[in-house]
Amino acid sequence: MSVAELKDRHTAAAETLNSLKDRLKQKRLLLLDTDVAGYARSQGQTRVSFGPTDLVCCRTLQGHTGKVYSLDWTPERNRIVSASQDGRLIVWNALTSQKTHAIKLPCAWVMTCAFSPNGQSVACGGLDSMCSIFNLNSQTDKDGNLPVSRMLSGHKGYVSSCQYVPDEDTHLITASGDQTCVLWDITTGLRTSVFGGEFQSGHTADVLSVSINGSNSRMFISGSCDSTVRLWDTRVASRASRTFHGHEGDVNSVKFFPDGYRFGTGSDDGTCRLFDIRTGHQLQEYNQQHDDNEAPHVTSIAFSTSGRLLFAGYTNGDCYVWDTLLAEVVLDLGKLQNSHGSRISCLGLSADGSALCTGSWDSNLKIWAFGGHRRVN
Amino acid sequence: MQSGNGVEAESVAAATDMRGKHWISAELKRLDQETRFLEEELEQLEKMDNASSSCKETLGPMNPIWDRWFEGPQNSSGCRCPIL
Repeated sequence: MSVAELKDRHTAAAETLNSLKDRLKQKRLLLLDTDVAGYARSQGQTRVSFGPTDLVCCRTLQGHTGKVYSLDWTPERNRIVSASQDGRLIVWNALTSQKTHAIKLPCAWVMTCAFSPNGQSVACGGLDSMCSIFNLNSQTDKDGNLPVSRMLSGHKGYVSSCQYVPDEDTHLITASGDQTCVLWDITTGLRTSVFGGEFQSGHTADVLSVSINGSNSRMFISGSCDSTVRLWDTRVASRASRTFHGHEGDVNSVKFFPDGYRFGTGSDDGTCRLFDIRTGHQLQEYNQQHDDNEAPHVTSIAFSTSGRLLFAGYTNGDCYVWDTLLAEVVLDLGKLQNSHGSRISCLGLSADGSALCTGSWDSNLKIWAFGGHRRVN
Repeated sequence: MQSGNGVEAESVAAATDMRGKHWISAELKRLDQETRFLEEELEQLEKMDNASSSCKETLGPMNPIWDRWFEGPQNSSGCRCPIL
């Protein structure tokens, strides 16, 4: 076949694909007979109510000298690792506010960090396109720096997000600007699987976030600059199990709902959304109206232990607490006393659900916890 | 010399043509594959439940009102929250 004939076939195939995408979109719209808020109201659900002293800032962790980009809690004990523009990881005891480790990174341009399940290692990645692992129990070198215990190299773009596979200290998943996610074997330093990329079906733009299903660690989701979220089975790298459309901008943050059957997202389009993994339906949009047309972008999200609350950090320093069922904002941590003075870049809930940590471009981290007594009705 | 240059130019053009052909061929395969995936998804959608079924499950077994976060102390002697 000649090049010209191939080009014609290519054009025709692209048109067929676009037409199918439109048909899928229309078909899905027809199936969206309600959303979670509509259904919840019809069942008489009432909104969670919050007083201004119910959730208070009880710690401010100061020590970074640059914007905080990422944070992660340990699965046990109250420790947090944070990554900053200052080129360091800091490990904090959240109860005492003390710093247990301040790790100078070989590459200062860090974007993400994560704690291992056993709390003995931390991983980080960024513009060096690598994921570096540090064992917190290692001896420091002659300059007082903690040595890198493993470098995971192979990505052809920046590492935007990383998460250890739950209960597996030897495996983690990274998301990258090279449009792929990778499952790594830390023991060997090798890639176990590559999800997407030029030879396989996958994201068509930078991947910005990843979340592994806590109920089924073979399943994870990734959010991308191509505005989609993809669900992956780690046993099947050749294609995503499902692609979720709806957002109209980069998907900066994805997080599984506590039961593992749904997930939340946060995007540059200013909205958070809730999707169902089994059907692919978008179940709810969380969108606060703004006077001007410049809605702040959502940078990070987390669910409370039951899923009833969705925490969302925004580029303008707001940190909304959404009632997940009724899609209403019940509190804005950004308006409380002692709130951050700048963009919320990252947030995460402690393992026992008793505290929320937020990280900001103001270089601080803050811990928010239940502030008083409350009767359960 | 000119005829030599002409032969060289022809073989460069042929090589470029071949690379372009390989690239378009690979792209075509990718598009065909994506089309098959979308056709499968369309078939699944024909048998899929409405969103209301999934919404019903979302309201499901979660604690109807309060998180562990908001349960607060069970006795009045002090807050159980370890942070405080």
